[in-house]
Amino acid sequence: MQDKLQGSWNRREILGAAALLASALGVPAAAASFARIDVDEAPTSRQRALMKVVSQIVIPRTDTPGAGDVGAGDFVILALAHGLENARKPFSDSAPYARFLRADGSFRHVAWIESELDGRAGEDFLASAPDKQLGLVTQLDAEAYAARATESPWKAIKALILTGYYTSEAGASRELRYEPVPGRFDPDLPLTPDFRAVSNDWTAVDFG
Amino acid sequence: MQFDAIVVGSGITGGWAAKELTQAGLKVLMIERGREIVHGEYENELKDPWQMPLRGAGDADLFAREYSVQMLNRQFNEYTQGHFVNDKDNPYSTAPGSKFNWLRSYQLGGRSLTWGRQSYRWSDYDFSANKRDGNGTDWPIRYADLAPWYDKVEEFIGVSGAAEGLPQLPDGRFQPAMALNVVEQHARKAIAEKFGRCMTVGRVANMTQAKPDEGRSECQNRSICARGCSFGAYFSTQSSTLPAAKATGNLTVLTDAIVEAVDYDAKTNRVTGVRYVNTKDGTRGSATTRMVFLNAGAFNSVHLLLNSRSAAMPNGLANGSGALGTQIMDHASTLSTIALFPQFSDRTSFGNRPTGVVVARYRNMDTMDGVGHTRGYSYQGGALQSNWGAGKREAGIGEALKTRLRSPGMWRMVLVAFADCVPRDSNRLTLDPVKTDRFGIPQLQIQFAFGKEEQAALAQAKADAAEMMVAAGGNVIMGSDQPGTGGMAIHEMGGARMGHDPKASVLNKWSQAHDVPNLFVTDGAQMASSACQNPSLTYMALTARACDAAVKMLREGKI
Repeated sequence: MQDKLQGSWNRREILGAAALLASALGVPAAAASFARIDVDEAPTSRQRALMKVVSQIVIPRTDTPGAGDVGAGDFVILALAHGLENARKPFSDSAPYARFLRADGSFRHVAWIESELDGRAGEDFLASAPDKQLGLVTQLDAEAYAARATESPWKAIKALILTGYYTSEAGASRELRYEPVPGRFDPDLPLTPDFRAVSNDWTAVDFG
Repeated sequence: MQFDAIVVGSGITGGWAAKELTQAGLKVLMIERGREIVHGEYENELKDPWQMPLRGAGDADLFAREYSVQMLNRQFNEYTQGHFVNDKDNPYSTAPGSKFNWLRSYQLGGRSLTWGRQSYRWSDYDFSANKRDGNGTDWPIRYADLAPWYDKVEEFIGVSGAAEGLPQLPDGRFQPAMALNVVEQHARKAIAEKFGRCMTVGRVANMTQAKPDEGRSECQNRSICARGCSFGAYFSTQSSTLPAAKATGNLTVLTDAIVEAVDYDAKTNRVTGVRYVNTKDGTRGSATTRMVFLNAGAFNSVHLLLNSRSAAMPNGLANGSGALGTQIMDHASTLSTIALFPQFSDRTSFGNRPTGVVVARYRNMDTMDGVGHTRGYSYQGGALQSNWGAGKREAGIGEALKTRLRSPGMWRMVLVAFADCVPRDSNRLTLDPVKTDRFGIPQLQIQFAFGKEEQAALAQAKADAAEMMVAAGGNVIMGSDQPGTGGMAIHEMGGARMGHDPKASVLNKWSQAHDVPNLFVTDGAQMASSACQNPSLTYMALTARACDAAVKMLREGKI
């Protein structure tokens, strides 16, 4: 599917995308900016749709929203454009990914995932049945984490889906427990099945 | 502008100098190179992650371009980036073959806004270290000289901690201690029983009892201190010393002004004032004074002395000894061990305690039991459960992943060793002969390397740490004995050391320049050795003590 915006992404449309992103992220338009994305790297509408679907597969809707529902797909695109999760770091062996490399050796993650999933599906991934989509992403994920040292662009994408979800209002405060001012420290509590991990101030305690 | 005293810098020690000197009735000018930050108006303190452009993680590309050193600080993120310097705008150089990560905060309050808040007294094992093993030069003071000043500082800033009766880590005037969590309680007991070593909760300048008269609340257990704390629950210039100094009516604060030189009058052998650059427009200004306190941060105070060279003092102000710039130090630190504690998987905690644990030094005290080194190391760390971030490193998607990340994850305990850094003449600061900053001020050049003593200490620390974790029932998964790059402990110090001998040291026992009686340096530059404790509490005690002495000398007409 050839997106009509491909290759003709101009400044006005970049700003439009920034506004779209801003609404998805719940931040002022000025804050979410594609200004530093090269013109050929701005996402197509299909890529945005695909990233939303993939996000929703990684964190599906249950009694709380899924990652696609809360805009994690657009967050992943924005975050990759700003180099999060070491997205600029070249792989030790990038030959298998030559088509998706920039001049500096870093990846075009979004183009890669689009091509990868279409290829695995043998058809338009977005038109595949939900069970098939789930199976393909499950397989991709298992391969990427087969060994600790395995290098795969999927790792950064998945990491950013999780960040996008658990730092969203719904992910942080409905799926998990968000109490930005705990006011106390309880050093020893029973961990019961209904205890929800605390998400507040995720930058405070970063042991992963 | 004419003042009784000029204080250069507004961080941990600058705030103390301003407070002590203004409370003694002196008219004080405090000059800060960075911007003003007003207490209670911390830009990102109260924002939720979904209100941040990149969710608190921040713009990695921007960081790589403009914060390439500061981004290495664990406290650095999108929320706090405004509390750290822009490396591109604030260059320094390193000598060939040297690496040094200089972590800095140029703003009103300096690093008091971003510090780790760990507050430990030094002991006579530390003040006699140089004399005992012959490295560096002997301290002209001992613990007894500083003990009453530690009392004063702790009571004012508010330090929570547990009294343990250890000679190597003297007890202070503590507010009630924060609690050890369930895993740490267990580890403390096992380590005490098996090794006779003490693991205690980190003594920290976060209060557990409010000081309502000073508008300071007790800690809310957010552990986001480096954003700034409008509760005033941790010690910073803004929360503590600045309001006290301002209340005297004797304080003038000048921000956005880099002091480029201290003026010296050879006829009277006195410093007479400072010259500064207004960073907003590049214009120059000056102020005159009866005495100068340098509190610009260890390396910047040395930089200023070097850059204040004159015809009378061509090698730098107060550098008759030639010692200025030499014997800089930073703790050699590394992640000695990480251990898993799956047996506690039915326990958890609530709240973000803003401190960890400390294992007090136990080597080379009354028995020289260090292997290949003559000094001490101690550990800081703690036990934490993993959070949703664990999902980034493991296979798994879908509802099963979502369910798993809903609960706190595996308990893990880390111990980070901090080893005493031997003072060496080869580790030193100079003015770069060529490079300047945007105002034409010569850049500081840092020459630094750890030596075999620090390497040996960290090797022993790694082995010991693993033993302690195993004794506590932990499953050790990794550990390191390689020191991080110099600067990463953010305990850089020395360069204008205190000493008995004017020919071998820059300052006397009152933090006063041997060569120039009305010049005092009371930040980390004055340190003659590094100990293995976090140094800021000692800097504050030395500052309060020096201010008291300086005021007496001024009143007696001696300076």
